[in-house]
Amino acid sequence: MRKPPALLVVFGVSAALFAVLPIGYLVLRLFEGFDRALAELLRLRTLELLGNTILLVTAVSISALLLGFAQAWLTTRSNVKFASMFAVLAALPLAIPSYVMALGYISIFPNFSGFFASWLVLTLATSPYVFLGVTAALVRIDTASEEVARTLGLGRFQVLRRITWPQVRPAATAAVLLVALYVLSEFGAIALLRFDTFTRAIYNAYRGSFDRTSAAALALVLLIITLIVIWFERRYRGVYLANTKALGKRVRVDLGSWSWVAMAGLALVAIVSVGVPILSLLVWSVQGSASLNLTMLLDALWGSVRLALISGLVIGAFATAVALWAVRYRTKLGVFVETVTWATHALPAVVVGLALVFFGANITPWIYQTTWMLVIAYMILFLPNALAAISTPIAQVPRDLEDVSQSLGVPANRTLFKVVLPIAFPGIIAGVALVALTVLKELPATLLLRPTETNTLATRLWGATEDLAYSQAAPYALLLVIIAGLPALALNSRARKALSEVRG
Amino acid sequence: MATLNLRGVKKSFGDVEVLSGVDLFVEDKELVAVLGASGSGKSTLLRLIAGFDKPTAGTIELAGKEISSVTKVLVPEKRNIGIVPQDAALFPHLSVSQNIGFGLAGWSSKDKAARVTELLEIVELLGFADASPDKLSGGQAQRVALARALAPRPAIVLMDEPFSALDAELRTRLRLDVKAILQNQGATAILVTHDQEEALSLADRVAVLRSGQIVQVGSPTEIYNSPVDIGIATFLGDAVLIDGEVKNGKVVTLLGALNPLNKVIEGQIGRVAIRGENFYLLPNPKGEGEVIGQVFFGHDAVVEVVTKGLKIRARSNGPFAPEVGMKVSVWVRGSVNFYPV
Repeated sequence: MRKPPALLVVFGVSAALFAVLPIGYLVLRLFEGFDRALAELLRLRTLELLGNTILLVTAVSISALLLGFAQAWLTTRSNVKFASMFAVLAALPLAIPSYVMALGYISIFPNFSGFFASWLVLTLATSPYVFLGVTAALVRIDTASEEVARTLGLGRFQVLRRITWPQVRPAATAAVLLVALYVLSEFGAIALLRFDTFTRAIYNAYRGSFDRTSAAALALVLLIITLIVIWFERRYRGVYLANTKALGKRVRVDLGSWSWVAMAGLALVAIVSVGVPILSLLVWSVQGSASLNLTMLLDALWGSVRLALISGLVIGAFATAVALWAVRYRTKLGVFVETVTWATHALPAVVVGLALVFFGANITPWIYQTTWMLVIAYMILFLPNALAAISTPIAQVPRDLEDVSQSLGVPANRTLFKVVLPIAFPGIIAGVALVALTVLKELPATLLLRPTETNTLATRLWGATEDLAYSQAAPYALLLVIIAGLPALALNSRARKALSEVRG
Repeated sequence: MATLNLRGVKKSFGDVEVLSGVDLFVEDKELVAVLGASGSGKSTLLRLIAGFDKPTAGTIELAGKEISSVTKVLVPEKRNIGIVPQDAALFPHLSVSQNIGFGLAGWSSKDKAARVTELLEIVELLGFADASPDKLSGGQAQRVALARALAPRPAIVLMDEPFSALDAELRTRLRLDVKAILQNQGATAILVTHDQEEALSLADRVAVLRSGQIVQVGSPTEIYNSPVDIGIATFLGDAVLIDGEVKNGKVVTLLGALNPLNKVIEGQIGRVAIRGENFYLLPNPKGEGEVIGQVFFGHDAVVEVVTKGLKIRARSNGPFAPEVGMKVSVWVRGSVNFYPV
């Protein structure tokens, strides 16, 4: 076993500590004040929140599954016209942060709120995950097996139920769990649409009183629910990601006159998920353009970009170190560190933010309310994404090249910098860009931890909605879609792959 | 009686006519190979018989009952037809036995189990009953696909290039297995293939499909020995084409006067097709032929010879094949097919 360079070890171990310490501290503090925390949790209100959260998660999971599956089947398996265009439209909501979508609706219909509103917006925002996962699975089923089933006595619908669905189920399950995690951690859209779930209650409890025990106790419950879902999601992730099988042969089903119904349905979903919110924001932006404070907008844009750049670079560096350590050296500690940094994957940003508030205020006051605290929060939230993006290009560098380099007299550590990193560089940069774009869209942790003088597009948008000044919020929302949402979708390799496979 | 009868079957996709009037009759318990190059419309023909597509003209009858016409197409699940696709296409989420038993929906569980076991035995995969399809080799998967198609005792089994994904040795062995299994089950079958060796060695009758039409139907020996035109002759195995003229009932060519197999008219000009195995090479220092190339296969060899300005490819007994540079005399053995121009 080769020994990793000390630099990698330092970066890797600190990444793991960042990931674990604040959450651990939150739990610890709660146990100190156990009686009070318990009293908080045993109120009827907790039960109500629990009921609302579970209701929303379940409802959105089911509807996103149905919608995403229908979109995937129609675009890959039926002869519906303009399938490629509808596929792009089905993935497009990924470019719109869900709170932006919610803003688009609430600014036209001020009474659009509560369960139904949250359910609708989150279904539209999350169905692309199901769409992409199911599409990838559908195009890998050889339709010959479905035709064989027809000759063995199954009708068209029975084939869908007994042959197609069982083969898509693992991917669909993984996607639905992803949707469930998304809804569990969603804060912005639900808060805008005024539906009481854990994330909104935690934020309000924190903002509304100086006693933070209540917020922390609720955060712990949300943490536990999330961990349960994550545990399920882990079991299916492999199936979801490992689609290496060759594409199957595909025969498209002739919909006949139903083709028009299908097209109308797909178009309607696109209008509701993308058309209405974007149009609404455009109209508000134009209407409010006279009173637009350009200095404020530019200040927020700079605040966002600055944070995104710093975080992208810092997180990229840490992710590269952990990936190098875990993938190229495979020492026990390296793999352990990778697992630990993964562990924070999909934790609700409200929980992470709150944990850092506690940790920062009590243990590290010297960085509390500085940019660095925010960067650490982003690192806990997005290091797993960065690792996923950066591990692959690093793992793909052939080991032979390292051997050759060393045989030519270049020591192992320098080989890393002269051979491995330069080859993996484009992939690493893509990972950094992806993290930076995700940071641009982040709302709850930014709200909780930002230094008072720092403003971003997301926080300005939020501030305007709190004053019900939708026309002021609209340009910020549009700018977010343009500079963060669309580029992130374009960089999303899963989306690109699935969309390119729809044809054929 | 499971006969299949295609009458004037046409199929177009948009402006492209893929099948332009196919007539084919398959007897009960007969194995017919439809032989054609890629793009000849073979797979389209199978899809029409299976009921996945609708013909643009013509009718298809199975066991005396019309199952496809321009106006009416019986759905695939009601046709009692089994199919074996190119790459087996086993249901990946079901075990081998579940795959085989899939079409036995109406059967009692006892009968079903007995039938599945019977077929597992026939395809020699008893030990794999509970295996998942991804644990099978290509040949095993193909045998399961055949068992799955045969299980409900279909009126006819359609096989679409079932051996093309396998390596050469396995292909030869599996062909014999499949033939025996089909005979054992008394099944009527159509095999679609582009491999002439496969068609000739397996089928009771071969139907040659070319640009959407069946140009010749006959037993394998008929098709091989008496192809109706030069195109089929060259498609069925390599043949050398030599100009000739009919004189006194014989075809006079540069290689001598040859006996025609088919009817000829005095004075006709045309070409003869001579297969590699019809050439006889005799090493002879004064021979007019010179060996310019040799490919050795062990049991036989292909020898390239230039004689009288003609380049021929002869099949020769492997160990005794003349070597490059040797002088040889060239004879033609047996009769040949003459095609007037």
